[in-house]
Amino acid sequence: MPDLGRAALVTSFLLLVYASAAGAFAAWHGRRRLAESAQNALIAAFGSTAVAVVILLTALARHDFSYTYVAQHTSRELPLGYTLTAFWGGQEGSLLLWLFVLCGYSVAAVLTARRAGREVIAWVVPVLGVVASFFAFLLVFVASPFATQAAPADGAGLNPSLQNPYMAVHPPLLYLGYVGLTVPFAFAMGALLARRTDERWIVATRRWTLAAWAFLGVGQLLGAHWAYVEIGWGGYYAWDPVENAALMPWLAATAFLHSVMIQEKRGMLKVWNVLLVVLAFCLSIFGTFLTRSGIIQSIHSFTQSSIGPWFLGFICFVTAASLALVFSRLPLLRAKTRLESLVSREATFLYNNLLLVALALTILWGVIYPLLSEAVTGEAATVSKPYYNFFLHSFGLPLLLLMGIGPLVAWRRASLRALGKTFLWPTAAALTAGVALLAAGAGSSRIGVIAYTFSVFVLATIVLEFARGTTARKALGGVGWGGAFTSLVARNRRRYGGYVVHAAVVLLAIGVAGSSAYQTVRETRLHPGDSMTVAGNRLVFRGFESSLAGNHRAIRANVDVYRGGEYLGRYRPGKNQYFAEDQVSNEVSIRHDLLTGGDLFMIADQVNTDGSVDLKVLQKPLVNLIWLAGLVFVGGSLIALWPDAREERRLAERYEGVTVRA
Amino acid sequence: MPGKRSPARLIVALSVAAVLAVFLLYTSIAGGGTPSLQPSQLAGHAGRVSLVGIVAGQPSGDAHAAGLHFLIRDRHAMTSVPVVYKGSVPDMFKTGREVVVDGKLRHGMFVAVPGTLVTKCPSKYTPKK
Repeated sequence: MPDLGRAALVTSFLLLVYASAAGAFAAWHGRRRLAESAQNALIAAFGSTAVAVVILLTALARHDFSYTYVAQHTSRELPLGYTLTAFWGGQEGSLLLWLFVLCGYSVAAVLTARRAGREVIAWVVPVLGVVASFFAFLLVFVASPFATQAAPADGAGLNPSLQNPYMAVHPPLLYLGYVGLTVPFAFAMGALLARRTDERWIVATRRWTLAAWAFLGVGQLLGAHWAYVEIGWGGYYAWDPVENAALMPWLAATAFLHSVMIQEKRGMLKVWNVLLVVLAFCLSIFGTFLTRSGIIQSIHSFTQSSIGPWFLGFICFVTAASLALVFSRLPLLRAKTRLESLVSREATFLYNNLLLVALALTILWGVIYPLLSEAVTGEAATVSKPYYNFFLHSFGLPLLLLMGIGPLVAWRRASLRALGKTFLWPTAAALTAGVALLAAGAGSSRIGVIAYTFSVFVLATIVLEFARGTTARKALGGVGWGGAFTSLVARNRRRYGGYVVHAAVVLLAIGVAGSSAYQTVRETRLHPGDSMTVAGNRLVFRGFESSLAGNHRAIRANVDVYRGGEYLGRYRPGKNQYFAEDQVSNEVSIRHDLLTGGDLFMIADQVNTDGSVDLKVLQKPLVNLIWLAGLVFVGGSLIALWPDAREERRLAERYEGVTVRA
Repeated sequence: MPGKRSPARLIVALSVAAVLAVFLLYTSIAGGGTPSLQPSQLAGHAGRVSLVGIVAGQPSGDAHAAGLHFLIRDRHAMTSVPVVYKGSVPDMFKTGREVVVDGKLRHGMFVAVPGTLVTKCPSKYTPKK
């Protein structure tokens, strides 16, 4: 079986190399049959990669420890679900997942994005082929998931923090996001190579870009939730390099999603868009590289990792090749129109773009700072939370404000008088909220008050937009309020889906500001019967309980929570002791208050032999809005993604009509 | 990009300048980050540093009382330094694991800033050692 797996990967590699070489030759010389053959090779590579995936999954399910990968990442006691998710618990499996998802995306995008035009597709196939060949090469020659050994009696087991239902969805979603960014990149390169630099490649890949971006966003929020409920330090985001690795391409992709609208509407920013898509793709490869190569620890451990140098080489190759291509096509990328005013939709989108890219690049600087300083001074230095928070505040808060302003400013040129009228009510609402917050004592955090004031402003503009649109729709007659509202959204899915996503970002901002700027933390040693008070809650420790459960022993501290004499229930923070892995994991207990959106977060920080517990308790106001934001985000993305027959007809008239005449 | 004298260029140039200014201002006020050192490199650093290394010896004491005592040694050498730490101890903490902790060297003892101890490996993505 492992031989079959290796053979499947070798087949994939050869097919992908063929797709790249034959595809490039065909596109260059305009050979239609050969181009089809290259495209078929790409589809076949998806099939053979799927075979490899099935073989590895089977080996995992059968606990076949003669596979080094299976022995290193699972054990006999590990439940079947986690045994299967161990597929992406280690390096080789993760790379295989990358290749599999990439092949899947490639096939789907090439088959559905016909609108980009045949010449462009002919070039897209080899570009996708080259990227996929790289991963297939790593899997065949450098990090094979099918390496074998004399089977040990039992495997090493899976890291306990990976034994969590989130493991089944968080990594695959992130991969769907990372890998999905390859699609707009490949189409952008395809368009440049084919010298077809109009906005068709953007229109053809809009949904793919949006889907990848949405996956990446949701994947990160799930990861944050996972960290929150499982890792157990009381937070959800720690500016860890691995977390930043996903945030950076997401920020670049967010900028891209906005700036392509300007190219579609006004034919501007062509060079900028191509550069953004290159940046987003390179950051997604860099993210994979960060999480997989061990470079974070030190420049020195980087050279010990088998795939690190290959990844670095590939990133350099992609950057150099795409920049050279963009440069050679500069004359074709001239804008048809130019920016007319500093106060216009285009200009605000440009500000938004610059802020997003600046944020992404400062994060990148923070991530590579230890490596740079080690390379330059010989001594590594790290930047930490204050650095990231500073730039999040200085670039994120203006972005939040722009989110309210941008969508309402007129295209081309906006008059200040019209602007005053548009923003009168949102500004009034925001100022009222700000004053009310200060009166309520929220002034303990200036950043918090600013974030809330801006949030109210943006929410007010969104609500006004929906209200205005619905009223206008109803005035056309024939429908009630509900009907007017749904038909408004259904007729402008991109626009109103976008507003819903904006509302999600506002919820996120409110949740993040509330849970970080206004949280309370208390830490006390409690003996059975002792109590502590946190933000109006009285917690009484009633002693420990211990039980055996499958592959671990569970110790729980029984904590009764009271508020103003009312009994709110028993909570059980504790620790799990895993046998095979010889590791302890913190199991926190959280009391959600759905009315206020806050959480009471309990950690049994230290279990003492004398029967006492060191209990750490955090009161995190509004933190649940972050998770609510995730749901709203998915809803907004779905609205924007949903197939729209009317839009399809419009596009068909615009593009297929042109093709026929040409 | 638009042709000559387009406001777009002005915006880009001014924004880049503004971002750079903010960035430089920050780095000049907050300094260039905390040095990240192994025990053998500690000598001569009086200020706050991040100590990186492998936990050695049997950790003893109480992290929530007088402090947890343990040794941190270099990754590939036996040079070590005694550490005293108070606050939350991560799940993955034990002898042989790589950790990072912030603090200052005082009379041969590395006095950690409470709550800064983190284990570096295995993180949730890197394979187990």
